[in-house]
Amino acid sequence: MITPRIPHKWGMVVDIDRCTGCQACVIACQAENNIPINTEDRYIQRRAIEWIRIERYWEGVEEAVKTGDPSLVKARFIPVLCQHCENAPCEPVCPVYATYHNNEGMNVQVYNRCIGTRYCANNCPYQVRFFNFFQPVWPESLYNQLNPHVTVRTRGIMEKCTFCIQRLRKVERKEVKEQKRISDAEFDSASGMYGPACVRACPTDTLVFGDLNDPNGRVAKMAKDERGYQMFDRLGTEPNVIYLKKVDLHASESAHE
Amino acid sequence: MQEPAPRKKVNWMMRAAVALSVVLTVVITLAVVPKILGHYFWSIEQWYRVTPVQPIAFPHPSHVQVDGIDCLFCHRSVATDAMASIPPVQQCMFCHKLVKTDSPEIQKLAKYASDNVPVEWIRVHRVPDHVHFVHEAHITFFTRRDNVAPSQVCATCHGDVGSMQQVKQVRSLRMGDCVDCHRQNNAPTDCAVCHY
Repeated sequence: MITPRIPHKWGMVVDIDRCTGCQACVIACQAENNIPINTEDRYIQRRAIEWIRIERYWEGVEEAVKTGDPSLVKARFIPVLCQHCENAPCEPVCPVYATYHNNEGMNVQVYNRCIGTRYCANNCPYQVRFFNFFQPVWPESLYNQLNPHVTVRTRGIMEKCTFCIQRLRKVERKEVKEQKRISDAEFDSASGMYGPACVRACPTDTLVFGDLNDPNGRVAKMAKDERGYQMFDRLGTEPNVIYLKKVDLHASESAHE
Repeated sequence: MQEPAPRKKVNWMMRAAVALSVVLTVVITLAVVPKILGHYFWSIEQWYRVTPVQPIAFPHPSHVQVDGIDCLFCHRSVATDAMASIPPVQQCMFCHKLVKTDSPEIQKLAKYASDNVPVEWIRVHRVPDHVHFVHEAHITFFTRRDNVAPSQVCATCHGDVGSMQQVKQVRSLRMGDCVDCHRQNNAPTDCAVCHY
């Protein structure tokens, strides 16, 4: 008989304590989602497309200058991807409903509806929406490596992280076939087969993906961790991406500013 | 006696302009009206792609109806994957190494096999790139709902391919067509089900 679809609420936990800033997630995302090649001038123009990026911060520079001890300088890495906000600022500003919230807790971008007004990117506090200012081109030999399960976005439309929805659809098909909820282990970077590209590429398990509706799931448990916080939570966007604060025994003073 | 009014001089350019406008009006009316009517009585077949002539005249009837080969024997990944897949030439040669080798069409096939190049079949059913149709999900649904074999589901969208000498499209496969069916079967109509 036909099984009803299992209601999901996809979410991610980013444990900043583990991130080494290796950029494997960035490259994996680039490869999985047919993201055009970013050249240096695209970065200078602020038109580079990176669905996930590593933000780098330096801490303790002032103390290092004062004391003359360079070992006081610390690097902090924060992976930033679309936060899939429950109360997303990008959604109400779209005049054509090209971005909306679906019932799986995801913020969805519908490419064929988008007319490229860029209001959503202006209203996004996380800077994770990217506009295709150019028609994407690859070297001739790379056209065969494009992922057939992901649309190649043309010039003039907005794009952003989808939580690798093509893989989640695969999960849902498997669930319907086997008639049971897929455990969070399937999204694990080490053993799983279905996690988003960034999660599977992460060598330190910084990124953990799963279903927040599953009370026994790994993500739902980690989200309740006391280190957990949501980025810019005072804005009230209620992101589905939860960050776990870095544990630093020798935190510098400037870190608490 | 009053002098007759001098004959009005007719500007020949004015006449020509009037004549030209009359002609143009008639021509435009004749051209546009049938076009408008044509749109009003728009035939659904015009949405379909023209039935292509394939590089090898592959007859589905003799394979399906006469020999009774299952759809899944050639379109192997249809129940497990997004794409139905076209069999490689080697799979055709599996039988046609021995079967009907004197036919000119099979000799064409044998040439493809010996040259080790794929047959460039012309695609009949195609949805735009921003639409992701997954065969597997639909076959799972219909086989479970109707309790039938996977090969009996194909005709829902593709028509009776087994009786088509040349494969042609029988449903519009536009979004309205998809959404109608999704609503009837209580399938999700969220945009991100197909558009991602």
